[in-house]
Amino acid sequence: MKKIAGILCIILAVGSVLAGCGKGAAGGTAGNLGQEGSAGSPEGEGRSPSIVCYVGHGFWDGSLDPVKGGFSYGYDFISSGLVRVNPEAGYEGDLAERWEVSEDALAYTYYLKQGIQFHDGSGFSAEDVVFTYETVMGNQGQNGEVDLSKVEKVEAVDEYTVKFTLKEPFSPFLDSTAQLGIVPKEGYRSEAFDQMPIGTGPWKVVQYDAGQQLIVEANESYFEGAPEIKRVTFVDMDNEAAFSNAKSGQLDVVMVQPSYAAESVAGMHMEKLETMDVRNISLPCREPGTFTNVNGEQVKVGNAVTSDVSVRKALAIGVDRRQIIENAFHGVGKPAEGWTGNLIWGNTAEYEDAQTEEAKRILEENGWKDTDGDGIREKNGVECAFEVYTPADEQDRYMLAAAAAESVKEFGISMEVKQATWDEIVEKTYTQGAVWGFGQFSPMVIDNQFQSGHFTVQAYANPSGYENPEVDSLIGEAISANNQEDAVAAWKKAQEAYAKDYPYLYLANIEHCYFISDRLDISVDTQIPHPHGHGMPIICNMKDWKIKE
Amino acid sequence: MKNKGKGKVQEVGKKTGIFLNRRKKTLLLVGFAAAYLTAALLAGFWISPKSYGVDYSAKFLPPCAAHPFGTDDMGRDMFFRSIKGLSNSIAIGVVASAASSAIALAFGVTAAVKGGLADRFVNWCVDLCMGIPHLILLILISFMMGRGQKGVMAAVALTHWPELTRLVRAEVLQIRSAQYVQASYRMGKTRLWVAWRHMVPQVLPVYLIGVILLFPHAIMHEAAVTFLGFGFPAEVPAIGVILSESMKHIAAGNWWLAAFPGLLLLLAVMLFDVAGESLKRLLNPNSGNE
Repeated sequence: MKKIAGILCIILAVGSVLAGCGKGAAGGTAGNLGQEGSAGSPEGEGRSPSIVCYVGHGFWDGSLDPVKGGFSYGYDFISSGLVRVNPEAGYEGDLAERWEVSEDALAYTYYLKQGIQFHDGSGFSAEDVVFTYETVMGNQGQNGEVDLSKVEKVEAVDEYTVKFTLKEPFSPFLDSTAQLGIVPKEGYRSEAFDQMPIGTGPWKVVQYDAGQQLIVEANESYFEGAPEIKRVTFVDMDNEAAFSNAKSGQLDVVMVQPSYAAESVAGMHMEKLETMDVRNISLPCREPGTFTNVNGEQVKVGNAVTSDVSVRKALAIGVDRRQIIENAFHGVGKPAEGWTGNLIWGNTAEYEDAQTEEAKRILEENGWKDTDGDGIREKNGVECAFEVYTPADEQDRYMLAAAAAESVKEFGISMEVKQATWDEIVEKTYTQGAVWGFGQFSPMVIDNQFQSGHFTVQAYANPSGYENPEVDSLIGEAISANNQEDAVAAWKKAQEAYAKDYPYLYLANIEHCYFISDRLDISVDTQIPHPHGHGMPIICNMKDWKIKE
Repeated sequence: MKNKGKGKVQEVGKKTGIFLNRRKKTLLLVGFAAAYLTAALLAGFWISPKSYGVDYSAKFLPPCAAHPFGTDDMGRDMFFRSIKGLSNSIAIGVVASAASSAIALAFGVTAAVKGGLADRFVNWCVDLCMGIPHLILLILISFMMGRGQKGVMAAVALTHWPELTRLVRAEVLQIRSAQYVQASYRMGKTRLWVAWRHMVPQVLPVYLIGVILLFPHAIMHEAAVTFLGFGFPAEVPAIGVILSESMKHIAAGNWWLAAFPGLLLLLAVMLFDVAGESLKRLLNPNSGNE
């Protein structure tokens, strides 16, 4: 017995030492951060013009160079693009004053603003734009964020005019020009820009330690006026550590998962920000069988249950989305039945859900009956059951699928929720469901999810195996449109066309949760709808943030 | 001799009243450990998945009469979930110990009896296995086998034999060169007879204790690999899964999610350890002379 006591003592001692270490380290870092803050404060007459933010784990670990895909989010930060996304999710000029699209939709001409300077004091002109685009086109393999494969050539017409010639009509090109920040032709050094990019944006990099912290300073010569906050430190830690740091008052902004939304932190308030990020479950639309794709590969595809459109419809109208959001996300988020209304191309045609009786009726009518009394329907000996996969590192998606499974059980459908890695999920989606999260400004997401040609060829694209010639041709029409209006109209028509087939079970439009220091005003009015990727998007309008008096 | 000693001790025990002698205490402890672990193992098979099913009306309840270990963010009862998880861990431990001990016995005896090239080969295997950090080897094997139950079982079963192999080999080597064994050979006894009459009785206690002491390692490693995400998937109740999930909620003050399952695991591991050490004293009295 003495020995047990001894072991217990050792365990407790080791435990407390470890705990102590953890705390000490976290405290130490935060302490340093605090010092950073106070170091900048004397000029701010008592109030600190610097803030410390946590906007998610793992965002600050790669290159910051826009040419290599850094900061491809469609809003100003260190560098600016030709156009940018505005709070209405439309496009407005950024470095460009205005732009024109030719009648054949092949030539895009941007007229640039004059008198803009890079952080190093050099002037901005059309040469820099040409240099940036040509560099990306020459090393497209390094940049997975901005796809310029449709661009034939880019040329400077005069000092402040740039002309792009496309290989084929591509209406989402405007979005590409919002994603790519411009770097200076003279000052560009590939290696230095990984750490210290130079751009025209409102913030300058002071120090970047990948995976640890990024410190930025206000660009006093920013062409739309210097930000009021002078110094921002972003820290990288895990979500729980960040929450603990926030509790001890060391952070001004901290991103949290919805499960923390009900917590309270002294001196901070909860802000739930609108996103365009929707969560859906892909439902394999094909009958079980073998599919030969364009690469000649034979793939086993299809699901006997979800290939029945009546099952997919019953799922869509039968689930109780509000209840699911309540259960899985603690009530944070909005029900979604398609893309969100804050996207200019989003078709928000809605239908009533939680119609359990109607769902039962549809299933009964189509031969799905519970004959063995286990609560799950059958048809011709096939159980009305399928699997739904969620990525192992995303607890929220697991929670969502589990809550949905509880909801569909009420009308006799069984969804077995499983976790796997993305590599495994890609294979599984050919025959089973998976939980997806999509949210971006570019309508190309519709092409990605519904274009029949992508099935089994491109990972993550068209996981449902949806095939509808009408939708395919509408997508083609939208892509080759020569103006935004026609493109948007075609995108909306495509959404109408696939809606009746319910290839995806849309569930929720998530909201991004942050605790914000009470002294900080994050200018909610100028926040753009957040794209996919909880954490980072809050900094889209950081140049408008203010410290309250 | 032995019986006489036993009787004497018992008399002393009677004289001192309710105080048990050390042997009885040890036996009692071993009995208790065995009972706890068997109960946990069997309870896991008997618990219906409904008892730790999802119940959104009972999210994050602290420990109470209805839920002695509280509930998690999906309203699942942590008591039944932990017991089921512990049972899964013990089951893995049983399989791993069985496999590891079989490998160890085969390798150890072959190395000692055959000698030469076989001995060198076995030693090389042992060094190879022990040269790689154990946890990394576990993760590699589990990942290679496609993770999940199959992966973690293979990983734990295939990495716990080297120590036991060394033990068995050393023991057999020692006995093989003993005078009385050599004498048996000279008198014309067969290898089988010598193995059965001289080797097995000497090696068995060491071997059995080694097997039992493997259990806590196997269980801890199963939990560790699962905790790191290379073992059981999240939908299977396992202590590793429960502990890694609880880490997400501990900053919000939900301490019971980590505390009780952790203690349950600790208790199981320590009981195995106590049982093993006690049996060592009972079955292998010579260890007292070491």
